[in-house]
Order: sequence, then C-alpha cells, then structure tokens
Amino acid sequence: MIFGVFDKKSLPLVALFLVGLIFLPYAVPRFYIYLTSVILVTGLLATSLNLVLGYGGMYQFHHAVFYGIGAYTTALMLTKTSLPVWFAFASAPVVAAFFGLVIGLICARLSSLHFGMLQISLGSLIWAIVYRWYDFTGGDDGIHGIPVSEAISTTTSAYYFILVITALCLLLMFVIIRSPFGRILQALRDNPERCEAIGVNITRHRIIAMVIAALFAGAAGSLFVTLEGSVFPELLSWTLSLEILIMCLLGGWFTFFGPMLGACLIISLRTFAGNYTEYWTLILGLMMMLTIFFLPKGVFGFINELFRSGSPSQPLEEGSNAAD
Amino acid sequence: MLQIKALRKSFDGFQAVKEANLSVNTGEVVAVIGPNGAGKTTLFNLVSGQIRPDGGSVQFKGEDICGLSPHQLCRKGMSRSFQIVKIFSRMSVFENVQTAVISRMKKTSHLFTPARSIAVKETLSILEAMGLSDKRDRISGLLSHGDQKVLEMAISLGSDPQLLILDEPTAGMSGEETAMAIDLMKRLSRDMGLTILFCEHDVEMVFSFSDRIMVMQQGSTIAQGTPEQIRNDPQVRKAYLGGHD
Amino acid sequence: MELFSGLSFSVLCIQILVGLSKATILFIVASGLTLILGVLRIPNLAHGSLYMIGAFTTYSIATAFSQSSLGFWVALLLAPLIVALIGLIMEQGLFRFLYKRDHLMMLLFTFSFTLVFGDLVKLLWGSDYRSLAVPEIFQGSYTLLGMPFPRYNLFLLLLGPVFAAGLWFLTNRTLLGKISRAAAVDREMVGAVGINVNLVYAAVFVLGCYLAGIGGALVAPTQNISQGMDHSIIIEIFLIVIIGGLGNVWGALLGAVIFGLTDAIGILIAPQFGIVFPYLAVISVLIFRPKGLLKSIW
Repeated sequence: MIFGVFDKKSLPLVALFLVGLIFLPYAVPRFYIYLTSVILVTGLLATSLNLVLGYGGMYQFHHAVFYGIGAYTTALMLTKTSLPVWFAFASAPVVAAFFGLVIGLICARLSSLHFGMLQISLGSLIWAIVYRWYDFTGGDDGIHGIPVSEAISTTTSAYYFILVITALCLLLMFVIIRSPFGRILQALRDNPERCEAIGVNITRHRIIAMVIAALFAGAAGSLFVTLEGSVFPELLSWTLSLEILIMCLLGGWFTFFGPMLGACLIISLRTFAGNYTEYWTLILGLMMMLTIFFLPKGVFGFINELFRSGSPSQPLEEGSNAAD
Repeated sequence: MLQIKALRKSFDGFQAVKEANLSVNTGEVVAVIGPNGAGKTTLFNLVSGQIRPDGGSVQFKGEDICGLSPHQLCRKGMSRSFQIVKIFSRMSVFENVQTAVISRMKKTSHLFTPARSIAVKETLSILEAMGLSDKRDRISGLLSHGDQKVLEMAISLGSDPQLLILDEPTAGMSGEETAMAIDLMKRLSRDMGLTILFCEHDVEMVFSFSDRIMVMQQGSTIAQGTPEQIRNDPQVRKAYLGGHD
Repeated sequence: MELFSGLSFSVLCIQILVGLSKATILFIVASGLTLILGVLRIPNLAHGSLYMIGAFTTYSIATAFSQSSLGFWVALLLAPLIVALIGLIMEQGLFRFLYKRDHLMMLLFTFSFTLVFGDLVKLLWGSDYRSLAVPEIFQGSYTLLGMPFPRYNLFLLLLGPVFAAGLWFLTNRTLLGKISRAAAVDREMVGAVGINVNLVYAAVFVLGCYLAGIGGALVAPTQNISQGMDHSIIIEIFLIVIIGGLGNVWGALLGAVIFGLTDAIGILIAPQFGIVFPYLAVISVLIFRPKGLLKSIW
C-alpha cells in the first residue's frame, strides 16, 4: 500500500493502461496525441521529482533545473555538434546527473528548508547563466528549430518514442523504489535519525538519490526537445519547479503514479480550461488550496486511505508475500 | 567492552554532562539511573555519536570512538533505541526490521534487486524473538506505544549489535507491557548474549535485573557498582533513594 | 579616475548608491517575510504577490488623485493598509487552521495564493504594464561627483535607516515585539503564560504583509508595474532572508545590502551577466554559512 494503489493485483490495470496508450494514435485526433505526449514528458519529470520528494522526503525545491539541463544538452548537441542523434539523447541524462551530483554534494549535508533554499540559489544561478549567455544558449530567446532525427519528427512517431522512453524510465524508477536503496530512501524520509542509527550514511544516500532523480529529469528534458523542437530558459525556472511540486501534491506524493496523475490533471486543466478562460491558474490555485485543506495526501493518497480503511484486515504489504 | 572516562558536554553554558564515568563489560546488563535531567539521555547521545563530547573519552572494544558518526558506530557493533520512539512510521513492522538488516548487510546501494526478498528469514526470526510476528504486516505508525517501543528494540537487533543501548525502554508503557519488555530484555541478554546498557526511571525494575548500576546526578557519576553495593552506598541513599527508602 | 576598463570611480560610487537604494526596498519587503518566517514559520511565497498588489494599488490610487500633487503620498499611506487587510483575511480565514502542517505543505499553500493573486491582478488591472511618475518633489536628479543621481533614489536611501530603526524599536522596545520574539522561540510557553498566541500571530502576519505593501508602493515609481513582478521579487527576498538568517530582521538588512550591491556592481563588471552576481554571492555565503550570516531562529 505504501508503494501506491498498484500492488500485484493492480498490475493488470497498469498493463491495460499501457495497451490503451499504445493504440491511442489509432483512436484520437493528432492534437490529443500531442497532448498525451506532453503529459507523459511532464509526468516523467514529476515522477523523478517524487523519487526524492515523496520517497526521500527531501525538499527538492528546484528540480526543473535538471530537466532544463537535459533539454539544453540535447538541443546544444544537436545544433552545435555533428555527433550522432542517439548520442545527443543519451548525453542529456548523463549531464543532468552530473549536475545532480554537484548540487547534491553542496546541498546534501543540510536538512529540510536550508537544503531547499540552497538548491534554489544554485538553480537560480544556473537559470541566470542560461538566460544571459546569448552566444551559447541563445539567452532568453532559447534555441528553436532543433533538427531532431527524421524518424521521430512526426507527432505520432515522437509519441511512440516518448511513450517507450517514459515507460522504461518509470519501470526503472519503480524497480529502484522497491530495491534496497529505495527502501533506505523511504527510511530516510520517515526517520533520518533512526536511519543513521542503523548504520546508513545519510548524506551519501541523499546524494545518490539526487543523482538518480536528476538523471531521469534529464531524460524527460531530452524528450521535451523531441516533442517541441525548441528549448528556452523557462525550462529551468523556479515556477516550473513549483508547478511539478504541485503535480506531486495533487496526485499524492506517497504513491508511485500520483505525480503522473497530477501532471495529467494540471496539463488537461491548462489545455481545456485555457480554451474558455485565460484565468486558468486561478482555478488551479483554488484547486490546490482545496486539496491542501482537505486532501493533504493528494488524490491517489486519498483513494489509498479510503481503500485501506475499507479493508483493514487485508495484508498491507508485499512483505507478507515474501514471508509465505 | 565500553569505557567512558570523564566525559563532558555543555549546551549554551549549561553543563548537561560534567564528569561521567562508566565501564561495561562483555555480557553484562548495565543500568544508568538518576533523576530527571541528570544527563542520562545526553550521555547516551554522546556514546552513540548523535552529539560530540567537549572532553573526556569513550572507548568501544578498546578503540577510541569519540567523534565517530552514528552510522560508523553502528557498523562497529553498537546499536541503540531512543527514548522518544523513532521508527519508520509509514512502513510495516516487517519492513522496519528488514531495513536494519539490509543496512547491516551493506546492500543499501543496490538499485535493481527487489528489497522484499532480502533477509526474510533473519527478519522473521527477530520478529519472532520479539513477539511481533503476528503484527508484522501492520503499518508501524499505527501500532500502540508499547508495541512501537518493542519494535524499536527489534530494529536495533536488526543491526546485529554486540552492545545494545536502550534509552528508557519502558517509558510510557503500561504495567503489563513493562513486565513483558523486561522479560524480553532478560532473554536478549541470556539467550543472545548481548551486552545491554540502558537507562530507566523505574528503580525497582533496574535493581531487579541489572548486573551493575551507575548512578548519575546533575551530569556526574556519583556511584557505580552491583545493585547490592548501590543499595548500600551512603551517597546514593542520600542523593537519590534517600527520600523514600 | 579610472579603476579598470572604463570604470571610473564616480560611476562606481553612483552605482553603489543605486544598489543601496534598491536594497532599501528589498530590505523592507524581506523584513516582512522574515518576520512571518520567524514567528509563524510560514515560508510565505504569496509575499511577492502582496508586494505586486501593493504596487498596482498604489498606481490606481495615485492616478485617481492625479490632480493633486499628493496623489502618491495618499497611495503610499493607503495601499499598504489595503495589503495588510488582505493579509488579515488570509491569516484569519485560512492560515491559522494550518499551523500544524509541515513546511512543504505551507509552502505550496502559499504558492497557490500566488497563482490566485496573479490572476486576480490580471483580472483587475489587465495584462498591460503600468508606470507611475515619481512624486513631484522628488523629480529630477542631484549631481554627485559629476554624475546625476535621481532624487527619488536618495529619498529611498534615507528611508532605509528609518525603517531599520523602526523595526528595531518595534521588535526590541514594544510588548508585541517581545512577545513575538518569545513566541518564535517557544510557542507553547508563550501560550502557557496566558498570552493569546493567535492574536500575536495575526498581528505579525499583518505587519509582514504591510511591509510587503510598503515595498510595492515605494517601488511603483521606479519601474514598470507589471505581471510577473511577484515572481522576480519573491526569489530575491527569499534568498536575502536565507543568507541573513531565517527570522532575523538584521539579517534581512544585511542580505538586502549584499544583494543590492552585488547586483549593482555586477552590472558594471559584466553587463551581460549582471544578474548572475547576486546569486553567486548568495551561494558563496551559503556554502560557508549554510544557516545564514546572522543567528537564525530556526
């Protein structure tokens, strides 16, 4: 239950969902394919944030930086070098992870709010450099018309590329969360002092967690380039960082698919409410206030609670399976 | 196994621990007693590396351990429980203990193997020994206070320590729970051969089952010896037991 | 006198003064944030929005009284009060029910306010930017070291110490200040001795919002009043509060001066990367003193 509503019994549900996504392009107009791609990319970003936020309990306040770094890495590789396309994509997570390591080394010894604040300052510094370095990053204009490979340049082919990579990344993150490392990460969230007392080097594990989260955020960034063919400094902005924090919150940050659901909610809201009113952030703000006031564990978290209180006798954990 | 000499620590000018001396031999059960604010918890925090001492020395298995961090001390075979319950409250009882075992097996950086199949037997045997088997799938944060205290001990055991440090293991427990906890501690010491250092309010309980007792007052050790010696120590009688003995 | 590559001594001096006058506004806004952080423990992201609302309200009031030369001064008086009133409604209506929530929740809750306020401002004032003339008596410039220095900036420069002294008086010499400092250290204790903690919290929150309003009013004649000024200020004042030490008003002053000066001088050294310098300064402070320069009460 801790790992979300999707235990073994709900695995078929996930599989069904995935099949639905595979056949989606045959069923809906192109705009919806594009929209689903946006949701997948943003959802991947939010899930990578949740790895450190929801599972690690770390105040990762400026996660978008790694997303932006991934996107810019791919963009710069494609426009400024003649290296193969796959290399441009593969280097995005690596470079993002490297920045995750550097920022992690600086921040990880601090706790809670101070950790978050130092991260905001470092992230803002990177943002400011990208924003102003016209010769290299294109400054506040960004880089447009990035030549992404032919094979993934149509909406549908880009969609499949994004779907495959996102599914792979989610699977990897799921495995990591259930691994011993993932367990220690959650232990760190629940009680850092106890965690240290059972022999865990807290700082080291926090840094590893940040590197992993940055890696996946970087992958999401390179997918953004596939989708939009452009990059701009807003990708590293604090506003985006807060937006994905909201996605985690709305979906529920103690669940694995919560952030993806949150991304889906917010992007759909932006797209559809945005058609009727330019004041959709007002609606989002009010939604958030209501969520925080009444559903502090998010939508999935809330369903989870309902489910749990509905069947208290049911085994809560897969630990019981292993014990059989 | 553990030698503490002239340990000192002050916070903002307040001397929490002034002159603490203690030695614990292998296999012993040693209790630290003293009135509230005598510095017992601070002493334990100093020993287990939560805070750094201002002066004095702590030796563990003949090695100076001052300044080592809690996780390094845990690796050396020292494990502790806390006065205020510190457990992984969103995990099940089973996972709580399993996490400690995983950490001891140094598998905490493994990324791609499932955690749930690691160390199942060992975890279950600890749960069995602590009488938590029937609660193993409960979310630990929802357990009763008494069970959480027992779980604390179980987590400590997951680190397979030689020295177990328990900070008020029965604090806040009901009479029945206390009796059970004491029984548990007796078995840990007898059956598993653990060396136990603990502190406690309940003087009767301490006298009933410790091998040796150290008495602290206002941050200093005022006496150390067998329960018999402590009972007859004039200074202790005056300072601590005086009122009602 | 040339210092290096065309940078003359007088340009540097003027730039320092400009930086300090900018620091005044940053200090006023940041002191409000740090008070709220220190006493109520709320990382109030909506502080920037309140500052923006202060600026827009100042614009509206000042234009409404545009026949009179006192328009700006009336606005300077009224706009912060309006902002304080909004703060009172926020605190009494919502925040006081959430004090037990963790910082992350509070952070996101206040962020939802920034979304709502952002759109409300757009709804009320439209998306165009506004600009407000400097009040009559401060129009024009003085000449310092052969360089022009705007009179309004001098006014701001003089205002900084006034506010610093006022806040010092408030926190050290008044009952409210003493109680709120005690409440910041130990909430239960203050409640236990029979003081109405909720009232203290409300007062501090309203005061903090009032300061945000003042900052907005003062900044109105110096720059375009626009959507998005909430986002740009909030990150700056948060960093100021952090490098000063959370909850420490003097820290906010120190942080504001560091931020204002590095910003002003950075532009001289490398015009293109001017905005990078304050962040560099913040990071170098935090690497060596992660909890801020002065004593943090957290």
